Parts: sequence; structure tokens; C-alpha cells
Amino acid sequence: MSTISVSTGFDKETATVSRIYDYLILVLAGFLYIGSYHLHFMLTVGDWDFWLDWKDRQYWPLVTPVLMIAWPAAVQSVLWTHFRLPMGATLSVVGLMLGMWITRVTAYQIWTNYPLNFVLPATMIPSALVLDAILMLSPSFLVTAIAGGASFALLFYPTNWPIFAMFHVPIEWQGGLQTIADQFGFEYLRAGMPEYLRIIERGTLRTYGQMAAPLSAFFAALLCILVYAAGWYIGKAFATVRYLKRV
Amino acid sequence: MKLLKLFVFSSICLSGLFLSTSTAWAHGERSLEPFVRMRTVQWYDVNWSASTVAVNDELTITGKVHVAEDWPNSLPKPEAAYLGVIAPGPVFLRKERWINGEAHLNSLPLKVGRDYEFKMKLKARIPGRYHIHPSFNIIDTGNVAGPGQWVEITGNANAFTNNVETVKGEMINLETYGTANGVRWHMLWMILGIAWLVWWVRRPLFIPRYAMVNKGEEDKLVTPKDKNLAKAILVAVPVIVLSGYFVTNSQYPETIPLQASLDLIPPLPEQADLVNAKIKRATYNIPQRSMMMMVEIKNDSQKTLQIGEFTTGSVRFINSNMKIDASHTPPEYLATNGMQIEPNDLIHPGEAKVVKIMASDAVWEIEHLSSVIGDADSRFGGLLFLFDDQGNRYLSSISASLIPEYK
Repeated sequence: MSTISVSTGFDKETATVSRIYDYLILVLAGFLYIGSYHLHFMLTVGDWDFWLDWKDRQYWPLVTPVLMIAWPAAVQSVLWTHFRLPMGATLSVVGLMLGMWITRVTAYQIWTNYPLNFVLPATMIPSALVLDAILMLSPSFLVTAIAGGASFALLFYPTNWPIFAMFHVPIEWQGGLQTIADQFGFEYLRAGMPEYLRIIERGTLRTYGQMAAPLSAFFAALLCILVYAAGWYIGKAFATVRYLKRV
Repeated sequence: MKLLKLFVFSSICLSGLFLSTSTAWAHGERSLEPFVRMRTVQWYDVNWSASTVAVNDELTITGKVHVAEDWPNSLPKPEAAYLGVIAPGPVFLRKERWINGEAHLNSLPLKVGRDYEFKMKLKARIPGRYHIHPSFNIIDTGNVAGPGQWVEITGNANAFTNNVETVKGEMINLETYGTANGVRWHMLWMILGIAWLVWWVRRPLFIPRYAMVNKGEEDKLVTPKDKNLAKAILVAVPVIVLSGYFVTNSQYPETIPLQASLDLIPPLPEQADLVNAKIKRATYNIPQRSMMMMVEIKNDSQKTLQIGEFTTGSVRFINSNMKIDASHTPPEYLATNGMQIEPNDLIHPGEAKVVKIMASDAVWEIEHLSSVIGDADSRFGGLLFLFDDQGNRYLSSISASLIPEYK
């Protein structure tokens, strides 16, 4: 019997039932997070994560963490406030990654014949681990929002660069310059995805020349702080037992 | 028991429903509004080099488009357009693409009223039988499909290779390049993430922890060992991330950002305006699936001309009195006996003549072009081809409001 069960005064049978309940909730929550977070991710980040030739240095490191942090923040709010479990962010992101890998392999590779390298997802597990660790060690919503939210965004680009840098090697094609990622977009047919639809390298951030990625990352860090706070309070608002007479 | 029976019955019904469905082969090419298909890019001379190719072999699609003068008011002008291929996924790869003999890697602006000649070289990848269309994806307009042709790919998909050479001379296979590296990094982070979850899940979770938090004993729920692990994470994760970043930078010191330029390709040289065709009145008879045009044609050339063809929305109505090669056009786009011209005479140099052209065929309905009369912009457009006695072709772009006839 664990120290937690001893502390709550559970007898052996109650502790066993409680443990079974844990696993039931975990399985259900796992599917819930995989499904709902994945849906949220596909509808918001969408093409930036689906395709190699969308992962630019300006919008990709800005859009992805900002749109992804709300969900981990909400789950952290529930699990930390009511259970002192500092795994909300990691649970969400690991669930998301499982969902994404299932989709990329089945829907993109097996079903529609895209090679896996063209649809490799980005990972945010390091950002999530750091977010959980900061929440546990602080343990403060405000510190987590500022330090954790900023780290969540700042770690995104360097985390994924080892996966995607090799696709930025230049090639010459029909007398023009392309990255390997651009070449994927050119060769592997996507009827609804013309080149002009990609939202890459647009806007005045280009004024800073080669510094677009770090600037985007710092801007994302600022936004992540705010979005984290919003996500936390959304989680708090939904984590209610007001409809349950007894627990 | 009743519930079980209901469940089994429902499952059988649902399975039957799924098993009875057939594969969808269309790409929605007929669903785009007719006024867009008839009055934006007008396809002609589209040709496929083969109807059967083996894996790794090439298929070349060539053709021309005329960018209609009467571009719909409801659509912005074509400031960026992209010549594409509509196919069920990457069953072919596009290896080369040319417009007017120039490389077309990115989008390009199109000039209204002008013509463009294209060529695409595709490489067969996945065996099967596919409907392949050229298309022009135009910004804020949509994907305007050209005619489609069934093409069969034979052979073994595993034999497919797709090698390209980098600027530094390294030969890489795009089918597999970078996959193993990506999977390795994902696995590393997934293992660490799952390890962190297991660290917490191995202990009782929800009910006892909730009870302790409510009793004010939450400090007991996070142990010094937990805190040490969290501190280790705060150090180790950024170290791994930054190490990976810098090692990668040293492995790939020469990288460039994704390219986002616009191609500037001039249209084909403008043809002399030798034939002027103007529609006086046009009607579409719904029950008879027949379009009637009263067209005033002025021949400013030095040759005697005869009307040979009217094409719109990839559909070709051909004057059966003339010998016009339509062998490269799939039969579903051909109305070889659907064109009547009154009077079907020669138009002499300098002569202006009003002729009645009837274009009748079920293809109006099949291609969903007849629904132009239900559009907010009930105008149609197309190309009229006239020929001289030496077979030279004279093109005239026509358009007009279309009056429906319900009886």
C-alpha cells in the first residue's frame, strides 16, 4: 500500500478499487486528449504541421506554440489544482503526438501515398516537460505562465531543427533554387495546395533579414505567456464538481 | 439480450453499408461554378503523351490556355496562378513544369486576354488507373480543372525511385530522405515523455490525491525525489535540445529558407486580331440541352475562313463538315455531331456575316455547364476556332449573357 493510500486512510480493498478507477480514467482521458487535442491542433495549426514546405522560419515557430499551449495549460490547471499531478502538459502533448503519428502513418502514408518524410510532424514534448517541471517546482501559476510559457515557445524551433534542417539543403531544379522541402511540395501532387497558398515569409518581419526565426520565437514566447493564462482559467472554469452530489 | 441483438443487427447493417460503397473516382471537377470554368482559363489542345505507363516512366501533358477577356467581375484578377495536376494523390510526381518554354517552379501572374502554352512531365509512382487533369489553381478563384484523361500505371510500386541531386552534389532519394532521422528524434522525446508520465502514474492518482488536496495535505503529494527529477529535467531537456540544434547546424551549415518567389513569365506573343466575333444574342434551351448563338463574324484576314469549333469548359463542339483532329481529346468532352451552323458557308476576306450556331449535346448537363443559368453571373464564354483552306487556325474569344428557354 502506498504512502498516499496510507495517508488517506484507505483500506486494501478501497485502494484496489481506487486504482482500477485510476486506470479507467487514464484510458478514457488518454483517448479524450488524443482526439480532442488532435482535432484542435488540426483545425488551428493544420498545414503548418502537415507539410514540410510549410515549416518556415517565420510563421511556423510563431503559430505552432501559441496555438498549442492553451490545451496543456488547461489540463495542467485541472490536474495540478485538484490532484497535484504535474503532468498535464506532457500528458496532452504525448497524447497529441500519438494521435498525429497514427494519422500520418495511416491517413497520409498508407491511405493517400505521401511519403512519411513529407508529413513528419513537429514535436513539442521537450517544451511540455519543461512546462510541467516549472509548474511543479515553482509551484505558481504566474511563474509557470511567464517562465514556462516563454520556454514552451523558445524551445520549439531548436527542438525541431534537428529533424527538419536537412530539408533546407538547397537544390537546383529547372534552373531555379529550391530547398528540398520546396521540391517535395513541387513534386508530390496536392491538388488543393498551390504554392501561393502557403503562408510563409510574408509581412514586415522580413525586415529583420536573417533573424526571422529568433524574432518569431521571442514574439511567440510573449504570446504564449498570455495564452497560457487564458488556457489555465479555461481549465479552471471547466474543472467543476458542481454537478456531482457525492464524490 | 435485446440490447445485444440490437447491437449485432446494427453492426451488420453498418458493415453492409460500408462494404457496399464504391470508390469515388471524381475530383469535383464538375462542381466548380460554370461561369468560372467558362470565363477564366479556357483550355485547348490538351494532350497526354500516353494512356499507359510503367512505374518510373514519364507522362507528358501539354496544352494551351486562353485567359478569358470577359473575366468574371466577382473574381479578382489572376495575380497568382499555379499550374497543377488533379489526381488522386501523388500517384504521379511532377518532375518538370514549363510555361511558354520557361521553367515554372512557383506561382505566376496571368494576363487577361492572352494565351499560355504549358508542358508538364510526370513520373509514374503508384500502379493503378487514374483520372488525370491539368488544372490552374488561381488565387481567390479556385482550382479550374482542364479535361481529364484515364491513365493506367503498370508495374511495381516498390521499384519506384526518386533521386535528386543537391547543390553540393549529394544524390538523395526523396522517398526516404530524412525519415529515419525524424523517427529517431520523435522516439527519443516520446520515450522521455512517457517516462515522465509513468513516474506519476505508478502511484495512486485521482481519488486519494483529490482527497488529500481537499484535506490540505497537498505538500505530501510531491516528494523531494520528484523535485530532484524535475530539476534534472529543467537542466537536461534544454541541454539535449541545444546540443541537437548546434550539432545539426554543424552537420548542415549551408541551409536556405523555404522559397517564396513568384515567376514572371510573359504570355505567348499576341496574335493579330484577324477575326472578330461578337455574339448578338445567346439562349440555352433547357429541355433540348441546346445553346443557340447569333454571332456576327468579321473576317479581317486575307484568307477565306470557315467556323470549325466552339469550345467551352473543356467541352468541344466540332463542325462535322470539317476535318478537325480530335483524337487526343477524351470522348466525354467531345460533341462531334453537336454543332450546327446556319449558314455553314465560307467567310471571305473582309466579309462580315451573322451566323446562327447551335451547340447541342447532353454534355451540357453531364459536365454541369448548363447550370450557368442559375449563377449570379449568367454569362458564358468560350473560344471560337475558324480555319482557312490550309488548315491554319484563327482563335476568337467570345462571351455573352445567356437567356434561358424553359420549354
